[in-house]
Amino acid sequence: MTSSSSPSRKALSKIACNRLQKELAEWQVSPPSGFKYRVSDNLQRWVIEVTGAAGTLYAGETYQLQVDFPEHYPMEAPQVIFLNPAPMHPHIYSNGHICLDILYDSWSPAMTVSSVCISILSMLSSSPAKQRPQDNDRYVRNCRNGRSPKETRWWFHDDKV
Amino acid sequence: MDRLLFLVLGDDAFSDYIQLQVPINFLKKRKRRKKCSNRSKTGRKTNQIQEAASMATAADGVAAIALCPDVAVYWLNRGLCHFKRKEWAKVEEDSRRALALDDTLVKGHYLLGCAMLEKEQCALAIKEFNKALDLLKSSNLGDKMAEDIWQVLAKAKYQDWEIHSTKRVWKMQSLKEACENALQEHHFLSGTLVGDGSTNEYTDQLKLLSEVFTKATIDDTPTDVPDYLCCQITFEIFRDPVITPSGITYERSIILEHLCKVGNFDPVTREPLKEHQLVPNLAIKEAVQAYLKNHSWAYKLN
Repeated sequence: MTSSSSPSRKALSKIACNRLQKELAEWQVSPPSGFKYRVSDNLQRWVIEVTGAAGTLYAGETYQLQVDFPEHYPMEAPQVIFLNPAPMHPHIYSNGHICLDILYDSWSPAMTVSSVCISILSMLSSSPAKQRPQDNDRYVRNCRNGRSPKETRWWFHDDKV
Repeated sequence: MDRLLFLVLGDDAFSDYIQLQVPINFLKKRKRRKKCSNRSKTGRKTNQIQEAASMATAADGVAAIALCPDVAVYWLNRGLCHFKRKEWAKVEEDSRRALALDDTLVKGHYLLGCAMLEKEQCALAIKEFNKALDLLKSSNLGDKMAEDIWQVLAKAKYQDWEIHSTKRVWKMQSLKEACENALQEHHFLSGTLVGDGSTNEYTDQLKLLSEVFTKATIDDTPTDVPDYLCCQITFEIFRDPVITPSGITYERSIILEHLCKVGNFDPVTREPLKEHQLVPNLAIKEAVQAYLKNHSWAYKLN
């Protein structure tokens, strides 16, 4: 296993840069509800605060999402993980990795930071129990050396949560 | 340089031979230089090599032009060397000479346009870039070149807008002030400058006047381009829009990249999609052109 770690630190392409600037401008006008992002000068890494929706298991709790954009965004998906502590959820590993198909195989360049955020909040909201995935320990052990979740071969077996 | 000396010394018997040989050597040499500058890794070194190469090829250009002054490409090549060294007056001179010999040279119009843009002759620059793009359509020189030309064309259009809109806005502002003064004078003379409390015709008219002028200058006020004129992947205004069987329009270059790198599906609807199913969306293309005509600030590139 190689430890190529967090996404390649290659600078954003021109297309990626233009698009992220526009997404940022759009976010500032109308951020998705439940999310807060304080603008930094690093366009390539956004740390976003998410607050659990009212009436769900995570109501009022806040978590931090870290979004890293690859050089060829949006042709490639961003890397999205929860910073420690990650919410207890059947699809979220204790190291912050999220098992969600749109972040990997089902990514589409028409998706945005906003739409990804909304998907993650919806995944949190529909959780029936605060628990870790069954294979949490094994997976986290395999992910040492800061491996990116984008290098995992995900197996999406449950579309109910 | 030895060839130049040779030329000076050379007698008539050699001249035919040289006319044939110099252009060939000239090309060979250029190729070699290209290779070596590609190979070097560090930027500074590359610049130095390019600089040296452009100086050397400029010298070659002099030699080639001295021999065959009626070959447009030689003027063009020397113009390109001057272009790399940002010697704009020389770029203009050489590209004009090249175009006088052959008006169908895409690069000639491109170079002349760039030289015009440097002189802030935006209208002339736009004319040259448009000519270059038209010529490019009927040739097969590739998309990279079209992209380069489009970039400078957009720059020229934006500069042109900046110059003209500043003038227009200033004219409007002074007209507005003149109208306000006339209105004030009118109400002063008719004794209605201060209303009776409930109604005040003067302030109402001032407000309306301000609205009228805001509306009149709205096209010159940069805002966001409407979403329906922007690609949902790039978020930029369309240039070459194509529509999918799902009815979604994308920028051609980016949807092709998506089909090649991500997968054979429509990014928004996820319906299966193949390249041959893409159709130009001419209505949107015209809408973009109409929009850009009235809102030239939208040419601004990030």
